[in-house]
Amino acid sequence: MSALDHPQPEDTLEEFLDRVRPRIRGLFLRYRIPPQDTEDILQQALLALLYHRDSIRDPEAWLVGTLRNKCLLYWRDHRRKLYDAVDAAVLEVVAEPQAPDQEGADLRRDLTSAIDQLPERCRSILSLRYRHGYSPSEMAVFLGYSQGSISKMTNRCLAALTRRLVASGILRGQE
Amino acid sequence: MTENHPAQPVLERFVLGHLPAAEMRQVSQHLLAGCSECRQVTAGLWEHGAQLAARVPSAEGIVDRSACDEAIDRIFHIILTRESEVARERAQGRELFEELARHPPARQHLMVSNSARFLSRMLCEILLEQAHEAGFREPARAVELARLGVAIADRLAERSGEKGGEGLKGLRARAWAQLGNALRISSDHAGADQAFETATELLDPVRITPHEIARVLDFEASLRRDQRRFVEATRLMDQVIAIYRKLGQRSLLGRSLQQKSLICGESGDSDGEIALLRRALELLNPEEEPRIFLAARHNLISALCESGRPREAFALLFHTRPLYLKQGDRLNLLRLRWLEGAVSRGLQRYEQAAVAFREVREAFLELGLDYDAALASLDLAEIYATQGRTADVRGLADEMLEVFRSRKIHREAMGALSVLQKAASTERAELVLVREVGSFLRKARNQPDLQFTPIS
Repeated sequence: MSALDHPQPEDTLEEFLDRVRPRIRGLFLRYRIPPQDTEDILQQALLALLYHRDSIRDPEAWLVGTLRNKCLLYWRDHRRKLYDAVDAAVLEVVAEPQAPDQEGADLRRDLTSAIDQLPERCRSILSLRYRHGYSPSEMAVFLGYSQGSISKMTNRCLAALTRRLVASGILRGQE
Repeated sequence: MTENHPAQPVLERFVLGHLPAAEMRQVSQHLLAGCSECRQVTAGLWEHGAQLAARVPSAEGIVDRSACDEAIDRIFHIILTRESEVARERAQGRELFEELARHPPARQHLMVSNSARFLSRMLCEILLEQAHEAGFREPARAVELARLGVAIADRLAERSGEKGGEGLKGLRARAWAQLGNALRISSDHAGADQAFETATELLDPVRITPHEIARVLDFEASLRRDQRRFVEATRLMDQVIAIYRKLGQRSLLGRSLQQKSLICGESGDSDGEIALLRRALELLNPEEEPRIFLAARHNLISALCESGRPREAFALLFHTRPLYLKQGDRLNLLRLRWLEGAVSRGLQRYEQAAVAFREVREAFLELGLDYDAALASLDLAEIYATQGRTADVRGLADEMLEVFRSRKIHREAMGALSVLQKAASTERAELVLVREVGSFLRKARNQPDLQFTPIS
C-alpha cells in the first residue's frame, strides 16, 4: 500500500510533528544531510506547510515527499559544485601557454585520452569547450541545440568526465 | 605531481561537494595531475555520492544522530512558535482583504502600491485564492485580484532584499501564474504568455516546494491546452502528475489526471480521455470534493457519448443523477439536462433529445449565457439536420446570429453561424456542417482568434 492510501486524521501541529518525527529523522539520516543544512531544509518545508495547511490533504505524505525532493536537490546541487570544480581545473590546464613542460604535456595528453573515452556526444561537446574554447551559447549555436539543452548536456558530460577523473582513474596514475 | 596529498576528510568533503570553491578547485587540480593514491580514496567515496544523487540512499550513520535530533528539535520549536504568528497573519490578511474590497479596483491598486500596511504575505495568499475562485464566475475580477496579488508579492520580495526575496520566489511564481491563468480565462493569451514567462523564470526548485512548482505548471498546461499546443500541455501535466504522486496528494493527483483528460479530449484521443477520467475518479473522494467528482463523472459520460458508447453513458448517468440533484444549483441541473439530451441522441431517441436541448437552450438564453445557448442550439440543429428539417436549422441559426450580433460577441463564432445560416437557406445544411460548426464553437470558446474554415 502506498502513502496515497493512508490519509491522516486531522491533529494539532504539535501532535502532527511528534507523529512525523521518526520519518523525518530517518530521511535526513538516510540522505546524510549535515545538521546545519537539515535545519534549512526542514524549516523551509515546514513553513510552506504552515502557510498552506488548509489546502494540503495529507500533510504527512506532503511533508515527506517535499523533504525527499529537497534532499535529492541538495545532493544534486553539491554534485554540481564538484563538476564545476573539475571544469574550472581543466579549463586552467588547457589555458596554459603553449610549449608546456613535460608534466603539463602529459596532463593534456591524459585529458585528451579521458575525453576520447567518453561517448561521441560528450566528446563533441567537451572538445568544443576545452580544445576550441567555445562558450556554452556558441556550442548551442554550433551543435544546433537550445541554450537549456546544451547546459543540461554539458552538465552530463562533465559528470562523465568527473567520474573518470575521480572514480575510475583513467589518467596517468593507472597507466 | 604534487606530493602534498589532501587529507582523507578533505577528499570526502570534496566528493560530496562540501568544500569551498577554491579548495574544490585545488583538489580537482591535484587529481587531474594524476595522483593515483588520492584517486583510490575518491573512487571509494564516489559510489556513495553517486547513490545519493541517483536517488538510492543506502549508507547511514555517518551523520551524527544526536546532532540531527537537535536540529529537528530546534526547527520544531521555531515552527510551533510561528504557528500562532501565521494564524494572526491570516486573520490580519482577511481584515486587510475586506478593507480593500470596500474600494473600487483603481483605488485598491493605489492602496497596495502606496501603503506598507498592505504588504502582507497572507493578504497576497488570500488575493490569489480569491482570484482563483473568481476565475469561474467573473474573469475580469479574477484578473484584477491576481494583479493585486502580483503587486504585493513583487513588493514583498523587493523589500526583503536579495536573500529574503529568494524565499518569496514561490509566492511570486504562484502570483504570476495565477495572473496568467486569469488572463487565459479572459482570452488574453498574449498577456497570459508574458505572465507565465515571468512565473517560469521564478521556478527555482531549490527555493520553491514541489507543490508550488506543480501549481504553476498546472496553470501553464491549461494555457497550452487552450492554445491547442497539446504536446506541451501533456508534457507539463505529466510533470504535475509526477509531483503530486511523489507528494502522496491523492486528491490533487485525481484533479491532475482530470486536467490531462481534457487535453486528450480536445486533441481527439477519446480512449485516453476515458482511461484518465476513470483513474481520476478512483482517486477523487465524492464526499470531500463533490463538485470535482461530479465534473469528472460528467466529462466521462460526455466522452462515452461522443465516442459512440451511449449505453455505457446511459448507465453511468443513471448512477450520477443523484449527485447533480444533491448539488441542486440551476447550472448543474442544466448540465444534467444537456447531458440527458446528448445520451438520448446517442441512443437515437431524437424527440427526447430535442426536448432536452430546447429546454437547455431557453434556460441559457434566459440566464444570459449566450455562448452556451448557441452550443445547445447547435445540438438541437444536429437533431433537425438528422431529421431533414432544414428550415428549422435555418431558424435556429437566424436566432443565434441575432443574439450574437445584438451583444457584439465573438466575431469568428458569428462567422461560423453565418456559414450555417447561408447553407440552410439554400437547403444545403447537412449534418456534417452542423457538427463542424458545433465543434468549431466549442474550440473557439477559449480561442477567439480561431478561424472557421468549413471542410464539407
